[in-house]
Amino acid sequence: MAVSADDIRHVAALARLEITDDEVQAMHQHFEEILGYFNRLNELDLEGIDAFALKVDEEIPWREDKAVQSSVREDALDEAPYRHGDFFRVPRIVEED
Amino acid sequence: MELFELSVAQIIEGLQNRTFSASEVFKACLNRAKMLEPRISALLSFTEESGMAQAEAVDKALASGEKLGPLAGVPFIVKDNMCTKGIPTTCASKILAQWKPPYNAAVVDFLDEAGAILMGKANLDEFAMGGSTEHSAYGVTSNPWKLDCVPGGSSGGSAASVAAGYVPFSLGSDTGGSIRQPAAFCGIYGLKPTYGLVSRRGLVAFASSLDQIGPFTRTAEDMALVLDVISQKDDHDSTCSRRSRPDYKKALRADSLKGRKIGLIKETLGYKLDPEIKEAFDKTVKFCKEQGAEIVEISLPTMIEYGLPCYYILAPAEASSNLARFDGVRYGLSEDAASLIDLYMKTRAEGFGVEVKRRIMVGTYVLSSGYYDAYYLVAQKVRQLIKREFVNAFKSVDTILLPTAPTPAFRKGELVNDPIQMYMADVFTLPVNLAGLPGLSLNAGFSKDGRPLGVQFIGSWWGEEDLLSIAALHEKAYGTAPIAQGGVC
Repeated sequence: MAVSADDIRHVAALARLEITDDEVQAMHQHFEEILGYFNRLNELDLEGIDAFALKVDEEIPWREDKAVQSSVREDALDEAPYRHGDFFRVPRIVEED
Repeated sequence: MELFELSVAQIIEGLQNRTFSASEVFKACLNRAKMLEPRISALLSFTEESGMAQAEAVDKALASGEKLGPLAGVPFIVKDNMCTKGIPTTCASKILAQWKPPYNAAVVDFLDEAGAILMGKANLDEFAMGGSTEHSAYGVTSNPWKLDCVPGGSSGGSAASVAAGYVPFSLGSDTGGSIRQPAAFCGIYGLKPTYGLVSRRGLVAFASSLDQIGPFTRTAEDMALVLDVISQKDDHDSTCSRRSRPDYKKALRADSLKGRKIGLIKETLGYKLDPEIKEAFDKTVKFCKEQGAEIVEISLPTMIEYGLPCYYILAPAEASSNLARFDGVRYGLSEDAASLIDLYMKTRAEGFGVEVKRRIMVGTYVLSSGYYDAYYLVAQKVRQLIKREFVNAFKSVDTILLPTAPTPAFRKGELVNDPIQMYMADVFTLPVNLAGLPGLSLNAGFSKDGRPLGVQFIGSWWGEEDLLSIAALHEKAYGTAPIAQGGVC
């Protein structure tokens, strides 16, 4: 499967990464190399293998659904780059009429 | 013996016997670190004040006869991708430059409750992605045995600081070899426990189905002492096993390997190894035989040939999802932007380094519409195949022996611009993460030019005791590896 420079730009947009033309070029080269490498996996016979079989050797633990006091809220908000009262502040996302 | 040279066990004993105080030990370790840091750059921050206060508290408690925790007064360092309340946790990334977590990682709490004293936070490859600690936004760490070489990675700072005698133990995280490979490069013990043995709460996630926290130490006994504390159950990590934990110290009592079967993987025997690594490996095979173990040749064809491409699809896929949280809104760096999407795009472009971007891009690609089936799904199936081969292998052996990495520590700059060659250094370590197994790297000698040579034992699931008993017997036979002088004679 060949990758184009436009594919790289598309992936960068999906990944929410602004990307320069130089980076597109470098990333393009990396993709060509690594995808060639990934394609080796097609040599294997994977017929009948369940991709998501979990080796469950113990029960998945559950704990009681009980409200507990968390004390991290204020500290977490304090670490935000921009806060507004009890909210994280971001650029406007809804246009005014 | 200088105080900074003491092992965990020796510090515990000396404090009980009043041979020295916890404050003296902490100061000695701090001085050692400060003397060597200009050459090694293993640390991103020191916790000098809180550490001194804790050491004084331990001394006071000792004087008044209070009962102390099992690691009271022992200084340690953690990799800077584990949360420490109110203390910067950067993941060696610009995107988390100023971030102070609101809580401690579970392992940090466990160690704190046990009385151990945090001395600082260690450098790493950004978000634990890399094998050399060259991909840190805050500088490259040097190998304390050979300053022009890398310490390995991604837990390079944690490994270098124990090897150079800053502290007797540290914690790292291992997603594809990030504890075992730097342990090998730095000549110390490094353990990647079974997936689910150690809580990952508060470890900044890279690839959640592969990540596991483990210790670096200079002795086998210390490994058991630290593992006993950090392997506590944790109700807040649903992947942390509820099974009961053994007393790992008991594993140190084994007097031989009689009755044990140790497997050598046919496919690794044909692998092109550095000749001195091969020698160290052969010497370790001989050691196992001398201890009474039976050597059995086994075949694991998929792991060597296909483990690497499998891992480099799955780990970036998980990383691309986990790192989506770094958006410029909730923590760390935030670039000026007119719209929300622009804020994401600019913050992430500015905040992430080149290797992290590579992995986010590859991970996004293999999960994207049209490629998911061709890459991600295929890799998941290969992972099952690798697991299945290990299950079969452990029907005929108890432990598997193989080199930790194909070469000793390489030179700084040698592989940094060749990502796929750099990934190759993980060929023997990452299958262990894909299968969720425990693996321990130990020092098996030095190259002629003074670089440590590591070998790795892989245990069956929950087989940490087997690994510890082998490490203890190996140390009894060959002695404890010396402390690196960091270029200071």
